[in-house]
Amino acid sequence: MTPIVKVVAPRLLPVAVIVAFALIVKGYTDVGEGFGAGVIVGLAVGLRYVVLGPERADDSMPFVRRADVLATGGLLIALACGFVGVPLGEPPFTHHPLPGEPVLKLGTLELTTAVGFDIGLFLLVVGVVVLLIRELSRLVAEAGS
Amino acid sequence: MIQPLHETPPARAIGWFAVALAAGALGFTITGWLAGDWMIDLPWAPSIGLRIQLRFDGLAALYAFLATGIGLLVFAYSTGYMPWHLEHQARPAAHARRFWAWMVVFMGAMVGLAASQDLVLMFLFFDLTAVASYFLIGFDRQRREARGAAILAMIVTTGSAVGMLIGAVLLNAEYGTFSLPRILAVATPSAATTWACVLIAVAALAKSAQLPLHFWLPRAMAAPTPVSAYLHSAAMVAAGVLVLARIHPLLALDPRILDGLVVVGFASIFVGGLLALAQDELKQILAYSTISQYGYVVVLYGIGGPAGAGAAAMYVIAHGIAKSALFLTAGYVTKATGESRLSRLGGLRRVMPVVAVAAGIAAASLAAMPLTLGFFKDELFFAAAISSGPVVQLLAVAAAALTLAYIGRFWLGVFGGNARTAIEPVPRALGIPIVILAALSVLGGIVVEPFAALAADAAGVINGGSVDVSPAYHLDARPENIMAVSAWALGALLLVAANVRDPISRAVARAGDRVGPRRLYGLTLGSIERLSEAVHRAEVRDLRTSLAAILVPTGILAALGFAATPTEGSYVVGDIGVADLPLVVLLVLSVAAGLTAARDTGRLRPVLALSVLGFALAGVYAIVGAPDVALVAVVIETVLTIVFVAVFARLPATALVDPGGASRRGLARYRNAAAGVVAGASAFAVIWAALSRPPLGASDAGAQIGLTPDAHGGDVVTVILADFRGLDTMVEITVLAVAIVGVVSLLRRGITE
Repeated sequence: MTPIVKVVAPRLLPVAVIVAFALIVKGYTDVGEGFGAGVIVGLAVGLRYVVLGPERADDSMPFVRRADVLATGGLLIALACGFVGVPLGEPPFTHHPLPGEPVLKLGTLELTTAVGFDIGLFLLVVGVVVLLIRELSRLVAEAGS
Repeated sequence: MIQPLHETPPARAIGWFAVALAAGALGFTITGWLAGDWMIDLPWAPSIGLRIQLRFDGLAALYAFLATGIGLLVFAYSTGYMPWHLEHQARPAAHARRFWAWMVVFMGAMVGLAASQDLVLMFLFFDLTAVASYFLIGFDRQRREARGAAILAMIVTTGSAVGMLIGAVLLNAEYGTFSLPRILAVATPSAATTWACVLIAVAALAKSAQLPLHFWLPRAMAAPTPVSAYLHSAAMVAAGVLVLARIHPLLALDPRILDGLVVVGFASIFVGGLLALAQDELKQILAYSTISQYGYVVVLYGIGGPAGAGAAAMYVIAHGIAKSALFLTAGYVTKATGESRLSRLGGLRRVMPVVAVAAGIAAASLAAMPLTLGFFKDELFFAAAISSGPVVQLLAVAAAALTLAYIGRFWLGVFGGNARTAIEPVPRALGIPIVILAALSVLGGIVVEPFAALAADAAGVINGGSVDVSPAYHLDARPENIMAVSAWALGALLLVAANVRDPISRAVARAGDRVGPRRLYGLTLGSIERLSEAVHRAEVRDLRTSLAAILVPTGILAALGFAATPTEGSYVVGDIGVADLPLVVLLVLSVAAGLTAARDTGRLRPVLALSVLGFALAGVYAIVGAPDVALVAVVIETVLTIVFVAVFARLPATALVDPGGASRRGLARYRNAAAGVVAGASAFAVIWAALSRPPLGASDAGAQIGLTPDAHGGDVVTVILADFRGLDTMVEITVLAVAIVGVVSLLRRGITE
């Protein structure tokens, strides 16, 4: 493992998170959506596991221990955004605001429930990828010892 | 009296929380019933006509009373029983949480089912009770027979429940709605209606453990006793007759269905009753008794009319109260003595007089003795039978006699005779619910009006018109009384004449084992398993067959998709200009990488070649204007390359020798080649079609691009994923979540605790 990787890997996660954030924010007007963003964060987490090993990587990123919560939470957010209108008589995945209605804007980002769905999807993908990485790295570590 | 238990407070607290929940639900049921007919009606999936339609009518009130009232008592009983049960099996007390969770889910599903007015909603609650019962029957999961019993109950009840869904769809096709009240308002006799009714009735009969789908219930006695007392007396099996009651006006459209119900009901009464006489295990007697008792209810639905409906409703109430008390008694006795067989028990009336009296009252109620609620159930049963001719009358008397005989044998076997076992103290929480249930039986025997009012409300729904249910004691020689007296006399005779009764019931049991439906079920299951095993072996014999099992069906499906899609404008070889140079370079690179991956005999090189191929294709997507696809392709390709390299790094350093290499000449080689050609050709066709960029025209894609600004978006791919096709994405990510649960448990080798 080259020193460059050792230096870069731990510092890559914040960058990846920012890239992912940008992908989601831009997603509705430009390339990118929650899935790709989730995999990118997952890759950055994975790189830490490669460089630091399972235990130190776990310690350096407390949130990975609750990756299952992340995944479940993401799924629930996505579900909530998709089915919010169902009790009110709307078909599933009727996003608000409806077409033609005014929408709250943050820069180019238009805040609709579809963006919430995308964020849920992102969290789910991050959770799934991290879960997978953790389990595999544990397996590798066990086989090594 | 309570033994010191090594229990964490949470498990116990959850138990009491569940009791409180059941008490709240019972209170809700009482106020709901007193408030009269009311309903909740919410749209669910309006585009396919589904509504969440719950109506708290008389029928819903009756079954909600059973589910919450008996639920409350059984829950209270369980707070004393479960710690002992778990300790007895050397399991941590925390396992009780699972028990409580599923019991509460079950109660909720039962109340939901009772109030459902929409056929699909009914089906969902119906299956939810089956799922909960699977986990509850299989609660002692370290025991093989408990697991087997759970899966058996699941297969029989949910397998037949599929028929219920088909029936619902048939009715929807016929009448254009899933809403039961609307169907009932317009239903007319027709072949489709009859078939739908038959399918739903089969599902309901299987749930109520009626012949010939009764065999799951005796095995389900592997469940802990509170589960049996709740599910197999007043709830799970009652769900079946509840569904029959709901659709009864539809069933009544075709007299053949009603006749069929009478036949099935009497068959269940007699087979269940005779087999109950032959059993030694306490809970087995009660299980066969349940089969027999729900047979009465099914017969009454078959007789129909106001008399049948009223009697059926009364029967369900009286039976639920008495049978749950008897199940709880069985658990009490087993806990006190450590024995569960009639042949090893006896004389317990001296050491547990209160429970003996309470169980005696419950047994008397089941056997329709005067001064118990059960007396009126038989009075109404006989009254309904009188309207149906002499054959039904004779059978009705014989059925009542049989009931008296087996339940008498049960009580006398446990509490009569001489003591044979030592006694351990039992927590009071186990005795009180039995006493309360017995008190209810006696109360109903003296003041029957509230129970009759509940039954009349329910019968009004079953019959589709108001029904008068007014049972009372009449000290005269009316036919009902003569039938009752003859049934008692005949029953007492059966009880005494053990040497006549035992050979008969044993012969029935033997015949059932030899040619019964359980054997057929076993044979069917065995052959399905062998078939699945054979397919599985062919699929995963080696890496090549595993890959072919994925790639060949994919190729065939893609080919079928293309056969059904217009491909005009695709598959055209256009001009190649200078602007296309980057594209051509990437494609040439892809071809070279593909050839390397296929031909190279090394280990790492093919992997890297594959990833070059993937990245090159991602580049192609980026150039032809699908940057979203390119982005996903790049990140996924990165993940795949890392995983591949990581896995290959763990392979042994020595060369792999193919043991079947010598034999894989001839036919096998052609098979591999054929699989490769099918998969490759379909991939080729798909990619060419995608790259030839036909004009959008009036396609779906064109319409969706046009709608994108309306969805507050600029990027059509994201909008399709999150909005236009949001439900698809939702299902896909749910699959992803389920898959990761499976992968993680496989990687942990199934160890979760």
